[in-house]
Amino acid sequence: MLWQVAWFEIRFWLRSGMLWIFLVVIALLICGAISSDEVMAELSFSNIYRNAPFAIANYYAGMSVFTLLMTAIFVNSAALRDFTYNTHPILYSTPLRRRDLLLGRFFGATAISFIPMLGVSLGILVARYMPWVDQERWEAVSWTAHVRGILLFALPDTFFTAAVLFAVAVVWRRDVASFIAAILLFTGRAMTGLLFQDAQSGGIRALLDPFGFRALAAVTRYWTVAEKNTLFVGFSGLLLWNRLLWIGVGCAAFAVAYSRFSFAERETKNTAPELDEQVGMVSPGARATPARLTDSPWAKFVGSCKLHFRGMAKSTAFVVIVLIAGFICIVALAADGAQFEGNETYQIFPVTYAVIELIRGTLDFFLIIIIIYFSGALVWKDREERMDEIADATPTPEWMSYAARLATLIGMVISIQAVALVAGIVDQAIHGYHRFQLGLYIHELLVRDASTFLFLAILAFFIQVLAPNKYVGYFVFIAFYFADIYLWRALNVSTNLVQFAGRPNVVYSDFFGDAPYRWAWNWFTLYWLLFCVLLAMATVMFWPRGKQDRWRSRIHNAALRFGPRWKTAAAISLLAFVGCGGWIWYNTEALNSLLGPSDAERIQADYEKSYKPLDKLPQPRVGSVKYTIDVFPTTRNVNIGGEEVILNPYPHALGEIHFSLDPRYDTSIDIPGAALAKDDTRLSYRIYRFTSPLQPGEARTLRFTVKSKNRGFENNLSNPQIVQNGTFLSNLGPLVTGANYLAPIVGYNYWRELTDSAARKKFGLHEVDLMPSPERHCTDDCRDSYIPGHSDWVDISAVISTAPDQIAVAPGSLVGEWQQDGRHYFEYKLDHPSMNLFCFASARYEVARERWNGIELEVYYLKEHPWNVPRMINSMKKSLDYYIKNFGPYEHKEARIVEFPRVAGFAAAFPGTMPYSESLGFIANLNHPDDIDTVFYVVAHEMGHQWWDEQVIGANMEGATLLSETLAQYSALMVMEKEYGRDMMRKFLRYEMDLYLAARGQERMKERPLLKVEYKQFYIFYNKGAVALYYMKEMIGEDAVNRALRKLIHQYAYAGPPYPTSYALVDALREETPANLEYLIKDLFEDITLFSNRTVEAMAVERADEKYDITLTVETRKFKADAKGNETEVPVDDWIDIGAFAKPASGKKYGDTLYRERMHITKRNSTFTFVTSQLPEKAGIDPFALLIDRIPDDNMKEVALQSAPAQHGQVH
Amino acid sequence: MSMELRIENLSKTYKNGVKALDNVSLTIPAGMYGLLGPNGAGKSTLMRTLATLQEPDSGSATLGDIDVLKQKDEVRRRLGYLPQEFGVYPRISAQDMLSHIALLKGIAKATERRDLVACMLKRCNLYDDRKKALSGFSGGMRQRFGIAQALIGNPQLLIVDEPTAGLDPGERNRFYNLLAEIGEQVIVILSTHIVEDVTDLCTNTAIIHRGRVLYQGRPQDAIAQLNGRIWQISVAKNELSDYERRYQVVSSRLVGGRPLLHIYSATPLSESFTPSAPDLEDVFFTKIRSWN
Repeated sequence: MLWQVAWFEIRFWLRSGMLWIFLVVIALLICGAISSDEVMAELSFSNIYRNAPFAIANYYAGMSVFTLLMTAIFVNSAALRDFTYNTHPILYSTPLRRRDLLLGRFFGATAISFIPMLGVSLGILVARYMPWVDQERWEAVSWTAHVRGILLFALPDTFFTAAVLFAVAVVWRRDVASFIAAILLFTGRAMTGLLFQDAQSGGIRALLDPFGFRALAAVTRYWTVAEKNTLFVGFSGLLLWNRLLWIGVGCAAFAVAYSRFSFAERETKNTAPELDEQVGMVSPGARATPARLTDSPWAKFVGSCKLHFRGMAKSTAFVVIVLIAGFICIVALAADGAQFEGNETYQIFPVTYAVIELIRGTLDFFLIIIIIYFSGALVWKDREERMDEIADATPTPEWMSYAARLATLIGMVISIQAVALVAGIVDQAIHGYHRFQLGLYIHELLVRDASTFLFLAILAFFIQVLAPNKYVGYFVFIAFYFADIYLWRALNVSTNLVQFAGRPNVVYSDFFGDAPYRWAWNWFTLYWLLFCVLLAMATVMFWPRGKQDRWRSRIHNAALRFGPRWKTAAAISLLAFVGCGGWIWYNTEALNSLLGPSDAERIQADYEKSYKPLDKLPQPRVGSVKYTIDVFPTTRNVNIGGEEVILNPYPHALGEIHFSLDPRYDTSIDIPGAALAKDDTRLSYRIYRFTSPLQPGEARTLRFTVKSKNRGFENNLSNPQIVQNGTFLSNLGPLVTGANYLAPIVGYNYWRELTDSAARKKFGLHEVDLMPSPERHCTDDCRDSYIPGHSDWVDISAVISTAPDQIAVAPGSLVGEWQQDGRHYFEYKLDHPSMNLFCFASARYEVARERWNGIELEVYYLKEHPWNVPRMINSMKKSLDYYIKNFGPYEHKEARIVEFPRVAGFAAAFPGTMPYSESLGFIANLNHPDDIDTVFYVVAHEMGHQWWDEQVIGANMEGATLLSETLAQYSALMVMEKEYGRDMMRKFLRYEMDLYLAARGQERMKERPLLKVEYKQFYIFYNKGAVALYYMKEMIGEDAVNRALRKLIHQYAYAGPPYPTSYALVDALREETPANLEYLIKDLFEDITLFSNRTVEAMAVERADEKYDITLTVETRKFKADAKGNETEVPVDDWIDIGAFAKPASGKKYGDTLYRERMHITKRNSTFTFVTSQLPEKAGIDPFALLIDRIPDDNMKEVALQSAPAQHGQVH
Repeated sequence: MSMELRIENLSKTYKNGVKALDNVSLTIPAGMYGLLGPNGAGKSTLMRTLATLQEPDSGSATLGDIDVLKQKDEVRRRLGYLPQEFGVYPRISAQDMLSHIALLKGIAKATERRDLVACMLKRCNLYDDRKKALSGFSGGMRQRFGIAQALIGNPQLLIVDEPTAGLDPGERNRFYNLLAEIGEQVIVILSTHIVEDVTDLCTNTAIIHRGRVLYQGRPQDAIAQLNGRIWQISVAKNELSDYERRYQVVSSRLVGGRPLLHIYSATPLSESFTPSAPDLEDVFFTKIRSWN
């Protein structure tokens, strides 16, 4: 009987279209994703085979979350069918057994729910035959990978979801309960992710994901490209436990359902009272005084709102969604405002805009769900409850029925936001932050966000009114929502005039509020408001009333309703809408230019194609630049004038000079003895021909002006660096968003190249543009540093004027400051010629100053962000102290940190001046002692650049960043070591290593050794570089490393061309390395070397003198990896630390070091014994994370305490 | 103030091809008006059209000077409508729901509305249960609620579609008393498939079948037309089909376990048939079998 029930269930669905539609949808999704370069890049899968086993496992695990809703439909229907169709009295009175009914239904529904999952395999198998795919990215079909995906994810996940939803359906017998359970499963998964985001609880996080996705991520976290292409995910470790756990939970859920199920009819509270049936109607004696009929639309409106509001607030779906949303929002707020930067979690102060973003991030999803769900519920309410005929026959105008429902929905959304607003303020108060910006809260949440919700609600109502049923309405709305997001981009349209509710992105900053964005945002909001008014009128005209079985009668009705007053209103709105649109068009496309997304990319590509070949032409070199800069904060304009000395260092005359320009500025160039030969306005490139050629050794002074052209308002702010307060412009290139050309750049600017490989491919550019390989003895090829612009060491000075209440800052010493004609002037001059990079800022700053050994230390900051200023000054002092002692003199009279608005989020180094983003360090909350002091670290890093980059800069070759970024990292680590002690370095090293290991598995090109690192491989030159140099220091000593670095300074500081390559550093280090350790140079810089160290056993035995004998059994393996991550094991012959840590004091993360010793390890398995004064918590190999270790987590092991050694006697 | 509802040539065909109204023309004066017809005759379509809830394909309807099909709002201000089937919002009490409907009908003042609702609840004997959720009401109580809401606002046109469905005989009587009292001044259109309802209550009636009006006028006149033409006979069950073949059988029902046949014949039949005084039921069945 059981199997008959199951088979009935299966047949029922096999015949329905829905199952097959789901299967096809999944297959299409996977097929589309897997054959799309963009999506693969998004998933960081572009470096592996499209059908690599790793990818297949990920699709199965990822799709399990997606199919949740489909499973919910099948299972809920199977569990509730008898109640939905009222067949339970018939069916439940048959001698069918509970076991057969429940198990049969469950098996049937689970089997059916599993079928759409097969779409994953189907999609993968079909995708390679799509005409546009690149066959080289596919490997032979691996059936094992498909089977593993099914066995590890598809089946257990379907079983788990089905069991839980079945249980919910059986116990509560309500659709809404199943709906809520599905949402809970979905959000619960997100919640565990949110709650356990720090590295320590990674294991819990992986276990708590019911779909196994995070367990998969944890297991494969450090997989290399080669491993992702070949290895299968196995039934072991964390993943196995995860699967067993959730299959167990599924079984338990089913058991509960089984025990709670009863054939008996459920008692309902709503049984009809039978008391007064015989009384019936009283005779019509009691007659009302005829109440007056009054036309009061307002009273009707308010009354209806109240009624709908109450109905909505009481509905289970609403209560549950709000509870979940509130829970998540409050957890997120309570989590101290944790914020992700890179991969590192650090705390920030709950500044209002951050709290608002947190509220948005957690709440908006649910508010949109509420809008979608309840727009349908409210539009269809009367018809679903069969109240429509009564209500529709009352003299209630359609607009009122509509307006009352819309107001109810928006009122509900706003009330939820208001509650979140209060929660945000309470959160700020709890954290001791008392700058409550109530106005900002109200504007951002209750105006800016609420307007979006209003627009969405109006659209949703419109769709629901036209839809033949609620579900079609939901589907159409969601389909429209996503199509509207992605379609315009695909059509190369970027104007906000067409994307529904499209408005400029606003980045709030404590510098300028939203001032630069305000006008554009307001106009676009008005435009969409008018559009929505029209949409609302259309909705009213087609508002369902009565029985409308035909479109003809609906149109007939609409025409009847569309009376003269409506016509007038519609005409006025339409006129206003068109007028507003025209005004916006005039501002965004006539006054300003607007490019489609792929137009902008095409220009970049054409620029590269046309002018990169000219890069080899010798160009005059820049000798000095004198800037005259006028900043106009209120009108958001900057005029830059300049005198630039160009000279010819070559032995032959130069006939041309080329410039790359910034298209956002009007540029004029005046060169004595030269005429404009080519002006490519589309690609912003100019060629001037010397009428009298520039002779060898000759210098000329050219003049230029670069003027910003802020006119009207733009579709999206093209230059958010020029603002009312906090203008910050720099011509620093590739690492930084929003670089500006403060002066025309001589020659070709490779920082303008397209970097996204999918985009490059689209425009027919070769995939990566490789820099040349470094040469050991390099002359001509090292003529240029990696800064574009054909310059060497340049003398720069600037006179900057700004608004009288603002301070302008630029690199160099302040040599003059005066007020003139109502403007504030500042004159800066570099203390030492530097690379031709420049920046300046203008804002209403507070300035903190301190003198240290004749150097002026300054921090320019906003008065709202004073917290970390002392840390910054401290870090500057400690850095200067260490670097001057160990590297060489500091060439500037000042060291200053300048805060700039959060439109960009980086810190950078210019000569003596280090701009630092508002969002990066100024609002960091570093009051937790064991967290990494990122502010101190970053400042030390930027200070390090004052030697490495500012003094020694690499030639434009692979490995160039080794000389700047890696050495800045090393420098910072050394300052940290002096500040926090050598034993505490493990937290920094571990942090850097995690970043390196995780990023190398996502490498899209080739992983390179440090010596030949590409300038985009941040994870190598920052993260691996830090660990490698620190290990070098551990092995050959701090003095030896610093001697090598001093040598580098001595030889290359402010010298060149030719500029040094990575060999300069590596060779200097080699000279300091004793012969027996020379392998280190090869291991760390020339090869990719990895260890796999593991502690197999750590035992402690207490001795008579209350000390402990520790016995460690460890395993050591060493590998060399190739560019794709294929590893070859090599013999171990290395010096590796062993050690033991005490249990951390309560509230601390790190325990004291009880033992630390370096061992020479030459074989795979070793055993060590040592004595500690107290019982260690953990002991193991490489406790300080000095070596690059494949799996750093298993280096240390909990120490097991053995009982007294007396037992040894019994063995004998 | 005596209004008249004139319906002219109303036609309506549904998407599935069913002709719900086929050139229907009726004139309905003040008083009780019965629409009689079997299930699916088009009664509800006609009533919904008059209640402004449905568009006919063609034809017109006027209430006094008001064009029912165009000036819908004017009609709705004068309308009380009890649909054949209706539901109510969940989780809401009878009192609140009735108050809401009163508001929608235009009783804007809260105090007036409260008094009116209380009065209507008493009148329909729902006062004791006014705070209970409507969704828990029994069929009879729900129907009384429906009547209460239809009567709110002193309608001049009261349309009640199958109002006695689900009511027990006692309740039905009381309901008719209520209607009859109101029906003296206003137009009350009552649709039913129960013949007695019309006989007992209505001064005028129309018999509708398959969208067509088969008879329009006073019920007594219709009965008079059948005088002397209805015969009855009690037969054995096995003879039934034989009779149906040989005679125009108007109706057949079991009396004491034996079929009692009413037979239409303009000419006298044999002695085994006894003449029967025609009633509206005979009229109804003769009309829908279109024998005259």
